[in-house]
Amino acid sequence: MNKNSKRVLAVVAASALAFGTVVTSQANAAVKEVTLMFQGPLTGPDAQLGQDQLPGAVYAISIYNATNPKVKIKLEKADSQCDGTVAANIAPGVAANKKVIGVIGTSCSGEAKNSFPSYKPAGLTMISPSATNVDLSNPKSKSNGFPIFHRVVPFDSTQAVVLAKVAAKEVASPKFYIVDDQTTYGKPLCDDVKLTAKKIGTIVGTDSVPKLTNDYSSVASKVKAAGANSVIYCGYQTDGAKFVKALRDSGSTAVFAAGDGVNTSDFPSLAGAAGEGVRLTAPDVPFDLLVSKTELAAFTKATSVKVPGLYVTSTYDATNIYISCIKAGKLTRAGIQSCVAGGSFKGVGGGTIKFDRYGDLTGGAPVGEFVVKGGVIKYLGGVNG
Amino acid sequence: MNFSVVTSEFWSLCLQGLALGLIYSLIALGYTMVYGVLRLINFANSEVFMIGTFAVLVVQVNLLHHDVTSQPIHGFALAKALILSLFGAMIVCALLAMLVELVAYRRLRLHGSSRLASLISAIGTSIFLSEGMRNLTNSRPQTTPRLLEKTSLGTIWGANLRIDTIITIVAAIIIFLALDQFVNRSRLGKAIRAVSMSEENSRLMGINLNKVITLTFAIGGLTTGAAAFFYATVYENTIFNVGFNLGIAAFTAAVLGGIGNIRGAFYGGIALGLLEQFASAVLGSQWKAVTVFIVLVLVLLVKPSGIFGEAVQQTRT
Amino acid sequence: MINLRDKGAEIWEGWNRPKRTIFVFAMIFLAGLLPFSASWGPTSFLNTPITSFQNVLVYPVGMFILMALGLNIVVGKSGLLDLGYVAFFAIGAYTQAIMSTMLDWKTWEILPFGIMFAMISGVMLGLPALRLRGDYLAIITLGFGEIVRIIAINSTSTGGPNGISGIPNPPSVLGIQFDLMHPEHYFWLVIAMILLVVWMVRRFTVRRPGRAWEAIRQDEDVAALMGVNTLVYKLWAFVIGAAVGGAAGVLYASKVMVISPDMFKFDVSVMILACVVFGGIGNIWGVMLGAGILAYLPDRFRFLTDYRQLVFGLVLIIMMNLRPDGLLPRKKREKISEKSK
Repeated sequence: MNKNSKRVLAVVAASALAFGTVVTSQANAAVKEVTLMFQGPLTGPDAQLGQDQLPGAVYAISIYNATNPKVKIKLEKADSQCDGTVAANIAPGVAANKKVIGVIGTSCSGEAKNSFPSYKPAGLTMISPSATNVDLSNPKSKSNGFPIFHRVVPFDSTQAVVLAKVAAKEVASPKFYIVDDQTTYGKPLCDDVKLTAKKIGTIVGTDSVPKLTNDYSSVASKVKAAGANSVIYCGYQTDGAKFVKALRDSGSTAVFAAGDGVNTSDFPSLAGAAGEGVRLTAPDVPFDLLVSKTELAAFTKATSVKVPGLYVTSTYDATNIYISCIKAGKLTRAGIQSCVAGGSFKGVGGGTIKFDRYGDLTGGAPVGEFVVKGGVIKYLGGVNG
Repeated sequence: MNFSVVTSEFWSLCLQGLALGLIYSLIALGYTMVYGVLRLINFANSEVFMIGTFAVLVVQVNLLHHDVTSQPIHGFALAKALILSLFGAMIVCALLAMLVELVAYRRLRLHGSSRLASLISAIGTSIFLSEGMRNLTNSRPQTTPRLLEKTSLGTIWGANLRIDTIITIVAAIIIFLALDQFVNRSRLGKAIRAVSMSEENSRLMGINLNKVITLTFAIGGLTTGAAAFFYATVYENTIFNVGFNLGIAAFTAAVLGGIGNIRGAFYGGIALGLLEQFASAVLGSQWKAVTVFIVLVLVLLVKPSGIFGEAVQQTRT
Repeated sequence: MINLRDKGAEIWEGWNRPKRTIFVFAMIFLAGLLPFSASWGPTSFLNTPITSFQNVLVYPVGMFILMALGLNIVVGKSGLLDLGYVAFFAIGAYTQAIMSTMLDWKTWEILPFGIMFAMISGVMLGLPALRLRGDYLAIITLGFGEIVRIIAINSTSTGGPNGISGIPNPPSVLGIQFDLMHPEHYFWLVIAMILLVVWMVRRFTVRRPGRAWEAIRQDEDVAALMGVNTLVYKLWAFVIGAAVGGAAGVLYASKVMVISPDMFKFDVSVMILACVVFGGIGNIWGVMLGAGILAYLPDRFRFLTDYRQLVFGLVLIIMMNLRPDGLLPRKKREKISEKSK
C-alpha cells in the first residue's frame, strides 16, 4: 500500500509539472516515420480485451522496424475503453492527427460506431481485430462503416451459427435456454443464435440479464424449471463465470456454451470447478498454434507476454496488412485506403485475406471451437458457419 | 410472463431471495445507521463493501494460502478459515468506515457545511476507493476460493437447502438480533439513539459526539464487512465495481424499510431480495430494476417514510 | 482564503451600465475564442492530449455547464436533491434521434419537442416524487434515471443496446455550418444556449418564483405557512431543470450522431451534481466555473490513463474539505445553516 501511495503521489507531482508544459513530439527528419493508431480498451472494465490484443500489433511492428526500413512505423495507443462515449471524443482527435495513416481497431463494436462519424470524412482506414457486430458492415444499416471499415474476423451471425451448433453437439434433442447480457455485443449475438437454435432444437426459455448483475440464482432456477439441457450465454467473462457457477450450484448439468466475450484466459480461474466442460467459440485461432517455437520466443521477447491472449492473431494480421501497404509505398490515408480495400494479403495462418466492398472477409472464415478442460481453454478446431 | 417457474421453484426462489435480501440488509445498515445519526447518505458505503470482499480474498488467499484450484476443506480448518475471513472483513470494513468518516465527513460536519458538500465528498471517496482497487487489480475480476463445499442439507418442498445459503441466513439474523439488543439495551446504544434524536441536546447532556459518530460508522462498517463475507461465500467473486449495484440495492432497501430505522433495514432488505427474485423469475431479469422502482414509489406514496418509518427513534421530524 | 465572490461582486457593483455591458461582451467574445486557444502559442497548454480539444469543449465542457445550470435550478435554487438528472438529457437525445431518423425532421424543429417531452416526464416524475422530502426524492430520481436507460435498452424503437445511429447534424444557420469539421460552431451554439439559460435563471431569481424557491429552500414548512404553494413551485423548478436537460440532450445527439443507452448512465448524473456543488450551489457563476473545471480536467489528465479517475476522486475530496461551499459560494444572505434544520 505504501509503495502505491508513493506512486500516486509521484504521479500527482508529475502531472502538475506536465500541466504547465507543452508536450510536442518532433518528428525525426532523417528517417521518415508514419503512425498507426491502436484503438481499443486499455483501461476500464473491459481493459483485458485491448491488453490482450495490443501485443499482436507491437510484435508485428517490431519485426518490421527491425529490418531498418526507409519508413519506420510508430505505434500509438488511443484508449477508448470499449465505451462509445469516450470513443466519440477520442476519434476526432485521432482523425485530426495527420501523422496517423491507419487505425488498428476498434476492439469493440460500440467504439467503432462512434468513431465512424469522425473517420469517414477524414478518410482514415480502420482494420478491426475483434469488432464483430453485424451492423458495422451491413449495407442496409445506417451505422455501417463503408468505405473505411474492415475486419479480419467473421462477424457475429457466423459465430452465432457455430455457437448454436457447438451448444447442441452430442446433446440429444437439444432444449436451449438462451441468455444475453443486454450489451451491444451480447444482445445481437443472442438474437442470431436464436435463429439457428430454432432450426436444430427447441428454445425453452430466454432471459436478458444486465451486465454486472450479482445474483444469477433466479436465472438458474428458471433454467431448471424450463428443463433445458443446453444453455447459451451471450456476454462477457465476468458475468459468464457468475452465471455458470450459479447454474452448477443449483444442480443443473446442462451444457453451457458461450461466445468470444467469455473466451478469455481468465475465465477458467474465474469459474473454478464450475467452468469445467464449458464450450466456447471465438472467431479467432490462438496465435501460439500458428507460429513456430522460435517465433513464439521472439513474440515473448518483443512484448513480454508469455501466452498470447485472444485476438492476437487477428491483431497481428491487421497490423501486417498496413505494413504490406506501407512497404508498397502507400504513405497517405488515401493510398492506404485503396491498398487495403483492393489488395490481397497473407494471414499468419497461411490463408489469404481479402476484403469485400463493405469490409468483410471474402469467403468468410472458420470460427474456432474451444472447451475448458483441466482449468485451461483448449482449441478443438475450426467450424464453418 | 412466466408463472410456471413460480409454482415449480417457489421455495428455492424464496430461499435464494432471503439470502440475497439479508446481504442487502447488512449493507443497508451501513447507510441506515449513518443516516439515523447524521442525516446524510453515506455514499462511500458501497466501496466499503467492495474493500470488504477483497479483504476476504486476501485473508483466504494470501494468509491461509488457498487458491481457486484448491479443494474445499472440512472440519476445524474450515471453521477457522471462515471465522478468520469473516472477522477480517468486518475489522477492515469497520476501520475503513471510521477512516472515511474522518477524511470525508468530519471536517465538513464540524464546519456545519451543507449536506450536499458531504455527499460530494463521499462520492469523491467512493471514486477514489474503487479506482484505487481497479488499479491494484488491473480491472480484472477476482474469484474467492471455494472453501465451503456447497453441499445440500436436504430439500424442503423441492427447495434445495444449500449450506452456504443457510449459514448466511442464520448468521445474518443473529447479527441483527445482537445489533438490535445493543442499540436498545446498552449505554452506547442509548447514546446513539440520543444523538439521532437531537445532536444539540445530546451534546448538552454530555455525550461525546465525535465518539458516538465514529462508533456509528464502525457498526455500519462491521455489518457491511459481514455482508462482504457472506457475498464472497455465496457468490465467490468480486471486482472493483462490485459495490455499485449492491450499494444502490442496499440503499433502496434502507429507504423501503424506512431509512434510519434498523428493523426497517432488516425487513426492507428481505422484501427487496424476494421482490428481485420473483420479478426476474416472472417478468425477466431485464425488468427487475423497473419493478423494484415502481414498488418503491408505491410504498413511499402510501407510507411516505418507508414501511417502518424514519429514524432509530421516530421522534425527530 | 480570499473571498473571490465578494471581491468580484464588489467590483461589479462599482461599475456603471456601459462598463458592465462592455465587460459582458468581452467575456463572451473571449469564451467564443476558446476553441482556437489550443493552437495559439501562449494558451496551447490548454490543449487536451489524445482527445480533440475542440470536441471536448462541446462535450463534456459546454454540455456539462449547460446541464449544471439546469440542475442548479433544482438543487441550488429550490434545494431538491436530484440524482437522476441524466434521464432528461437522455429523453432529449432520444427525441432528437428518433424524430430525425424516422420523420426526417430537422434539429431546430425537434428542439421544442425534446424540451416538451423532458418537461412532461419531469411532471410525471415530479408529481409523486415531490410530495416526499429530501433524501427520498434522491432515491426516486436515481431510480428514474436508471429506468429511462433500462427502457431504452429494452425497447425496439430506441434500437435496444445498439442505440440509434445516423442522426443528422443540425442544418446551418446564417451560413454557420454544423458538421464534424467545425466543432467550434457547436461550441458557439452551446454558449448561446448557456447565455439563454443564464438570462432565464436571472429573470426567475428576481421575480416571484425565485423568491418562492428561496423560501422553500430555507424552510419548506414556513414557506407553506406563508402561503407559498410549495408543490407547484417545486414542480416548476423541477420541470424547468428538466427542460434545460432535454435541450442539451437534443443538441448532444445531433452532435455525436450516434447515441446508445450506455451514454446515459448514473455516472453522468453524479458528475453534474458534483459540478454544481463543486462550483458553489445556487450561484450560477460558481456552477459554470465548477462544471467547466470538472468536465475539462479528466480530459486534460488523460495522459495519466490509469490514475486519471483516482486523481479526480482525490480532487473532489480535497476541494470539498477546503471549500465546502464551493469555489464561488452563493451570497451570505442566501446561506442557511442546515444544521439548525
